[in-house]
Order: sequence, then structure tokens, then C-alpha cells
Amino acid sequence: MIRALGRAFDNLLGRGDAAVTVPPLDGALRPNRLLDETGSRVPLAEVDCLAVHGADLVASAGDSVFAQGAGGEWICRRSYGSAVVGLATIEPDGLAVALDGGDVVVEGGRYDGRRYRADASVTCITAMVVSGSELFLACGSEAHPVAEWQRDLLEGNASGSVWRIDLESGAGARVAGGLAWPAGLAVDRAGLVVSEAWRHQLVRIGLAGGDRRQVLHADLPGYPGRISPASDGHWLAIFAPRSQLVEFVLREPAYRRRMMAEVPKPFWVVPKLRAGRSYYEPLQGGGVKHLGLLKPWAPTMSAGLCVKLDPAFQPRSSLQSRADGHTHGVTSVAEHRGQLVVAARGDGVLVSVPLAGIGRGGRA
Amino acid sequence: MAASDRIVRWRYRLVPDHLLGEILTKRWVDNTIPVLILIAVAATFGWLISDFFSMSSVSSLMRQWGEFTLIALALMIVMVAGGIDLSVGSTFALGNIVALTLITVAGWSVPAVIAATLACGAFVGLVNGVLVGYLRLRAFLTTLVTLIIVRAIVDMLLLKYSVAIAAGFVDSDLWYYFGEGDVLGVPFSVATALVLALVAHLALSRSRVGWHVLAVGGSRRSAHNVGIPVRRIICMTYVVSGTLAALSGVLFASRLGGAGADTGVGLEIAALTAAVLGGNSLGGGRGSAAKAIIGAIIVMIMVNGLVRIGVTRGGSSLLLGMVLLAAVAIDVRWLKNRHKFLSKVYVSPTYSELPEAPATSGSSPYALNDRLRPVEAIGLDQIDGPEDVILDEDDNIYVGNRTGDIVRFFAPDYTRQEVFVHCGGRPLGMAFARDGSLICCIGGMGLYRITQDRRIERLTDETSRSWFSIIDDSRLRLADDLDIAPDGRIFFSEATIRYEMHEWPVDCLESRGNGRIICFDPRTGTTHTLLKNLVFPNGICMTHDGQSFLFAETWACRVSRYWFEGPKKGTVEVVIADLPGYPDNINRASDGTYWLALVGIRTPSLDLALKMPGFRKRMARRIAPDEWMYPNINTGCIVRFDETGRIIETLWDFGGENHPMITSMREHKGHLYIGGILNNRVGRLKLDGVDPGWTGWKSYWGQS
Repeated sequence: MIRALGRAFDNLLGRGDAAVTVPPLDGALRPNRLLDETGSRVPLAEVDCLAVHGADLVASAGDSVFAQGAGGEWICRRSYGSAVVGLATIEPDGLAVALDGGDVVVEGGRYDGRRYRADASVTCITAMVVSGSELFLACGSEAHPVAEWQRDLLEGNASGSVWRIDLESGAGARVAGGLAWPAGLAVDRAGLVVSEAWRHQLVRIGLAGGDRRQVLHADLPGYPGRISPASDGHWLAIFAPRSQLVEFVLREPAYRRRMMAEVPKPFWVVPKLRAGRSYYEPLQGGGVKHLGLLKPWAPTMSAGLCVKLDPAFQPRSSLQSRADGHTHGVTSVAEHRGQLVVAARGDGVLVSVPLAGIGRGGRA
Repeated sequence: MAASDRIVRWRYRLVPDHLLGEILTKRWVDNTIPVLILIAVAATFGWLISDFFSMSSVSSLMRQWGEFTLIALALMIVMVAGGIDLSVGSTFALGNIVALTLITVAGWSVPAVIAATLACGAFVGLVNGVLVGYLRLRAFLTTLVTLIIVRAIVDMLLLKYSVAIAAGFVDSDLWYYFGEGDVLGVPFSVATALVLALVAHLALSRSRVGWHVLAVGGSRRSAHNVGIPVRRIICMTYVVSGTLAALSGVLFASRLGGAGADTGVGLEIAALTAAVLGGNSLGGGRGSAAKAIIGAIIVMIMVNGLVRIGVTRGGSSLLLGMVLLAAVAIDVRWLKNRHKFLSKVYVSPTYSELPEAPATSGSSPYALNDRLRPVEAIGLDQIDGPEDVILDEDDNIYVGNRTGDIVRFFAPDYTRQEVFVHCGGRPLGMAFARDGSLICCIGGMGLYRITQDRRIERLTDETSRSWFSIIDDSRLRLADDLDIAPDGRIFFSEATIRYEMHEWPVDCLESRGNGRIICFDPRTGTTHTLLKNLVFPNGICMTHDGQSFLFAETWACRVSRYWFEGPKKGTVEVVIADLPGYPDNINRASDGTYWLALVGIRTPSLDLALKMPGFRKRMARRIAPDEWMYPNINTGCIVRFDETGRIIETLWDFGGENHPMITSMREHKGHLYIGGILNNRVGRLKLDGVDPGWTGWKSYWGQS
């Protein structure tokens, strides 16, 4: 009763949970334009996930897996008939390919050709990581497929889970549940690290039994996605920025309900991989063009953000594309042959930045 | 419409939410809390003491109140200038003893006694004033010291003359009249206090010296910087304060005719309580005679009420002190939070349901195309925000810009430009009159005429004030677009009366009928409001029949027609009810149809929000204005329609790269010239199959 009253009071005054606050981009996340201004760009429509397969860098896009040719162009290696939603390297020369619907197919290596499924309920694979002979996979939501991630956010779901598949036996087991759209996985000596997108945090999940969770980094200014290994630490792809308007809409159940029912999906007030393409999309005050220019600081529903994490999973530097940039919706990052390759799904482009040039504090 | 929507619509139609914000912008709202306290206090004591407001009780209270109000006024004047005068109690006692001594012991005539007593008070004030104003001592300490010194002088005088005063007798009706007489049935002291309060009110609100006092209190440094003699003003307030306190002492002397050691003791605290409780800010700059009067009434009722219900002297002082503390706390919090609160509640959205938006694809007349791709840019990056574009008969282009100039681009190639005139404000809609002068709506200023020899003349900047409007709507805030009838009358729109020029998209969040259409008649020089409660009326264009005009309501996404002459005079008819975007300016096309600029396209998310005013209200309160959901004014298009509302063609810039933001367009000799309020260029598009000799001026004035 007192809590309900407190909540009503908060709601009236905009305090507590009703306060709309988004952490500023500061420290290691100081705004920069590195994704737009440095490196070489190769277009690949719908590029999503990156992985290293043997000596090659492979990328998933649509229902296919692509590999980079000698000239830097991307060549289709194989199509799977349904959307590829994740890739993971199986050392030394295997590649796990997750398909929309929940199946995992292995290409090459010891387990070549084998097909796995964690559980019948796992239909929304968002990320995978392999450690030894164990494959961990994140299931974003029980309610929606991967493509419906925006609806899952708007509904405020927290039905995601993390699963373990023994590659030898094929047995699947649930490691953790109740996660709000787990979208990235990484394994280190202390256990499994999950990026929990809708709660904007990185969580460590103990593997030693019991469901011990430890928040490693909370209140990120965006929705964290896939995590990939780096030479010293990890890379985190933040696939969409948080914005005050979206945070506000998330606190307005009536508007959210009607928006999902009455407004076509591309025009929702919701984070996007690429925003501003249509004049039917919502516009915010700061996004009004002045003298023909969109301001870089304009509030935006999409941006490009990838973050270098140190071994303790704390941000150290970042590469960004701002509101007026053209490398939005970073879904995956990989280090390959001295290059940092960034897959920006929103703009369907792969950006390669020399690793040597990426310094501390977000400066190139 | 769903039942819930209907309830919401009626809720917002019946409750005028926007009035709260408008009331809070008023200065008199500072009086609200004092008046509420007054009502509460009066009700409490009236209830506790049965005959508290009986005739006899009130009349005895009145005389005291008159004297007390003078002291409160004295303190108010000092406080408004940013100071404080604690010596008023002692000066009051001094005035009392001096007046009594002079009249009984020295036997002076009454006028001489009064003059001398007032001079005495003025001298004490002058000492304070010189110390505080010129020598810049702390007001609090200085007047505390004068309080003690003057009190000591009073005690010395008492020692010497009290026996003589008590023994003396004054044989003067005039003298007793001050204390016991009535003016038109009102006790003399009350009449004096009211007259002086009126004088103080007029001085503070209407006179130069009063404004100087307020300015000094508001910001001493700024007042100094603008050349106000700060020191003299401050000194003067203390002199006035001392004089008023002494005058109060004279009235007291006349009424009671006795001097005691406790006369005026603690009076400064009571007066301070009255002044602060009335709403006069301790920080200076905000205060009025009315506030002092209200405060004095409250304190008077409280003090006497407490005495009458038998609270001992100590208890009543304690209560008074507590009230003073509370008043100071309220004063500080109110000052600090009023603007915060105002900024949160001023935006007050209302229910607005737009008809379903027609598609912009397929076989729709609004279907997307790239007809604007060949637009050439004129003055690219040399012009800041040409809202409207107009051409004269020599083909020169005139545009307004953000910095208040009207810029002229010279024909034929438009590479040269000059500032035609600098008029200030924000030049918006323009039209050429019959004599070739340029009539211009200037946002923030009003309706102006610029003659061919560049003279700027104000036509009008105000209209009749609405009876029931809280904000003063007589002044024109955002004159937007105009057109001229054949008889010379000028019809122009004022987009909103609630927002200033730079905040115009915020009006969309409200979507209330905040705008109006106004007519200026140059024959009589009069201005009157024609149509009210329009939803951001924007473009205006005379139809070819000379009896009506078309006007666009931006946030209502419709174009209507108003007849000002002829059989349908006074009626409004909707011409296009469901535009897919937000209409801006309307202008004539060469074939008898009309061009219409759509400044933005409706977004489904905002259309939904317009049906949920509570959502928009919370949005305006919770998140920063830069993050608010806006109408999408980044992409626009040009539409041509006829008088029946049929859409003939639509001109788009697919992708919005070539010519972002369109607020106006003007056809001239086979070309269309395009303006945009946030744009950095004027667009020029060659039109095919139109009369290459047609100009707007000829269309309006060429036949006659």
C-alpha cells in the first residue's frame, strides 16, 4: 500500500522510477566520430554478426554467411534458408551458426555438420560463445523472435535466458533465466558475462552452480549487444542509444499499448538500428534541421557505438557515429589481422579501423 | 471514436488547464499566498471569538491598524529597495514623545508640531540612509544600532518630560481630530494610511522614482550600470521610512496622549512580519503597497485576536515570531520555485484528433516524387531563414531573415544582395500593396509597412483585448502571414498568443486554438480580431472573387475559407480537412488555383500523442525541450489545390536532400520561388506550361 502510494507520488512529480534520466556520454564514452571518419568502409546489406573462422573473417547478413575476398569485397559463402542470427568461433577451425528459430549448425572443425538445439523453447538466439567443448547461447526472449526486439523492449519483458550446449553430447541446459534481453556473451576465467540490453548492464553469471549474479557495469547510455574478445579485454557493441523520449515512453503504458496497436512498427518511438529514414518517423525538438543541417548532438533513436572494455569489463575507450553520422546500429565487432572490423547493421556497412591507431580515451 | 477518447476530449474541453500557467506568469500571483493566509486567519479568529468582527471591535482595531500600516509601508519601501529598517519602532516612539512634548510642554501650534516631528523622523531616516546608502554599512546592523540609540534618546526624553506631558492638557480640536476624528466615516489614521498606500502604489508602479527603487532592489549592480543613482535612492527610502514612522507616532500620540517606556517596543518585529507575510520579498525588488496592507491586516488580526483569547504577551510574541519564520521560509521557497513550477506547467496540451492522414504513395494525389530535384539555390549560405519570399515587378526577390532584416536579391541572376531595410523582429509573411509598398508581418512586433523609399511604418501592433483572457492578448506576439483585400483592408494571422517566435513548434504540443485572424483597416487605422481560437493560423491568401480568403491552420492540418464580404459574409468553410502534413503559407498560382506549402509531414506517433494530452503534458514536464516529440518539420512539400479543395499536384523533394524545409512559395513569371523558415537558401524552380508573364502583383492589382 505504502509502496503503491509512493509510486503514485513519484509518478506525479517525476521522481524515483518515474524520473527520466539517461547517463551522459562521458569519460571513455565521450562523443567522437571515429566510426565515420577513420577506416575503410565496405557495404554489406543487413550485416549482423562477425566471427573469425580459421584464418578468415566471416559475417552474417540476412540468411547467409559471407567471407571477405582478397580484394576486401564480401562474397556469399553459404545460404541457410532462414535468417542467421549469430555466429561463434569454435577453436581452432569451426564456426557455429545460429539460425532464426533456434537451431545451431556447425561448419568445419571437429563438429562439422552437426546440428544442435538447446531446448524447444529457445527460439530467439541473440548471441553465442564457445568455451572448450561447451557452447553458451543467449535467448533474448521467450515471447518474441529476434526481429521483434523492439516490441520486447516496449512490453518490458525480462524473459531472456542463457543456455549451455555440450557440443559432444548435444545436451542443452539452462544456465540462467529472467534476463531482460541478453544480447551478448563472453567467457572469462571467472565465469560468463552477459550484456543485458533492456537493463543497460553487464552481468557476470557464476557457472559454479547456484545463480549468483554480479553487475559489472550498470547504467550504460545505450543498449549493449554482442561482446567479442580483444587482445586485452573485450569489445562491446552497443546497438542503439538510450534516449530520454524512449525512456519516457517506456514509463507510459497507455501510450505504448496504443502505439503498438495503432502505429506501424517502423514509425514507433523506440530505439532503432537506423532512424530518420522516413518522414513518418518521430522527430524530436533538437532534431529539427537548421540551415539544412542535422546537429550532431541531436537526440536520436539510433547511433553507432562500440566500446573497448578492459579485462574487468569497464569501458576504456569508444568509437562512435553521432546523430548525423552514417555508421549506425553497430551489432558486432571483431579484431582481425590488426584491424578492428565493425559491423553497422543500421547502415549496412562494415568499417575497418587499424587497431594500432585506436588509443586511449576515445582518440585515434 | 472510443469512449475513453471521448471522455478525455471532454475533460480537456471543460477544464482550461492552460490558465494555471498563464496566472503564474502574472506578478499579482505573488499575492495569492498572503490572501489565503489572511482568509485563514480571519476565519480562525472570527470562529474563535464570537464578536471579533462586530462594529465596535472593528472600529477600535481600525485606528490601531492605520498607525501600524504606516509602519508596515515604511518597512516595505525600504525592503523593496533591498534594505531593512529595524529602527521604525524606535522612530515611532520618538515621534510620539517629540510630538507630545512639543504640543504640551513647548506649546507649539499643531502644524508646527507635525512638521517638527516629521522632520525628526526624517532626520533619523537620513542618518540611516547616509550610513547605509552612502557609507555602505550593513543595513541590518546599522538600523539595529539606530534602534538602540533612538530608544535611548526616547528614554532620556521620557525621564525629563513624562511628568509634564501627563500633567499637560492640549486645547486643540485639530490635534484630537488626528486620533479620534473620521474622514467620511473612516478613522483618520486609516484614511491617512490608505491615501499614503495609494501614493506609494502609484509611485512604485507608475513613477520613474518608484521604478528606480524597484530596480535597485532587484539588482543593485544592474541598476548602477544603467545609471540609476543607487546610493541616493537607498538613502531616500530610509528618509521616507523614518518620516512615515514618525507620522505614525504623531497619530498614536494624538489618540492616546500618553508616553510610556514600552511605546513601540517590538513594533519592528510586528511590522517586519506584516511586510514579509504580505509577500514583500526580503531580497528586494518585489513588493507593493497592497502587500503591505494585506500583511498589516493579518498581523493586526492575529495580535489582537491572541490578546482577546487570553494568550499572554510572551505567548503572542512567540507566535508572531513563528509566523515571521514561516513567512520568510515561504518567501524564499516561492521565489526559488515559482519559475521552475511555471516552466513545468506552462505547456498545457489539449485533446486534438486529426482526421486520418492520406497516403503519400501509390495513386494518392500526394504521392512522393522528385519534382523538386531541379530546384536551384539562390543565396545559399548567405541567408538565414527566409520564411516568406516575394518578388517585385522588376523581378527582385525580397526575403526576411532571422536577424530582422529584409534582404533584396537583385534580378536577373540573384547573385548580388543588399539589406533592403533592417526592421528588427522576425520578418515573416509579406505582400505588396497597390502602391508598391511592402506590407510585412514581423514576429514579435506586429504589422509593418515598408515603403519603396525604405521608410518603415508601423501599421498596428495591438488589437482589442479579450475580456476573459488572463494573459494580455492585445499585443501582437506572432503576426505570421497576411494578405490584402481589394479595398485595401489587411487580413493577417497571429499564430499563437501563448508563445514567442522562437518557440513556435511548442505550440503544436498544445494543439489548442491559441491563434487568431486579425483585420487592419488602413482607412480608419483600426484593428480588430476577426476569428479566434484557431489552431496556429498561418498562411492567408485572397481568393479571386475578392470576397473571401483562404487560411491554413497548421496544427489542425486543414485549410479553410472565410468570407468577409458578399452573401456568405462571416462564415467559415473548410476547404481541405485532411492534409497529410502541416500547412504553412498559401499563395495564388497563375491559373487561378493556389499553392500551399506543407512545412512538415504528420507522424503517426505524434498523431497518437495528440489524442493523449496527459502524455504530452507529462512529456513536457519530465524531459528536456530538445527531447520533446515534435511535428516532423524536416521534410515538406508543395501542394497545388483549387477552391473546391481538390489537390491538383504535389511537388516533393524525395530524400529531402536538395531543398529541406519549405514554409512558403511564390509563383512569378513561370518560376516558383521557395522559402523555408530554418533554411539557408531560397529555392527557384522552373514551372512548365504556366503563363510566363504572370506576377502576383498584377494578379492582385493589375486589373484595376
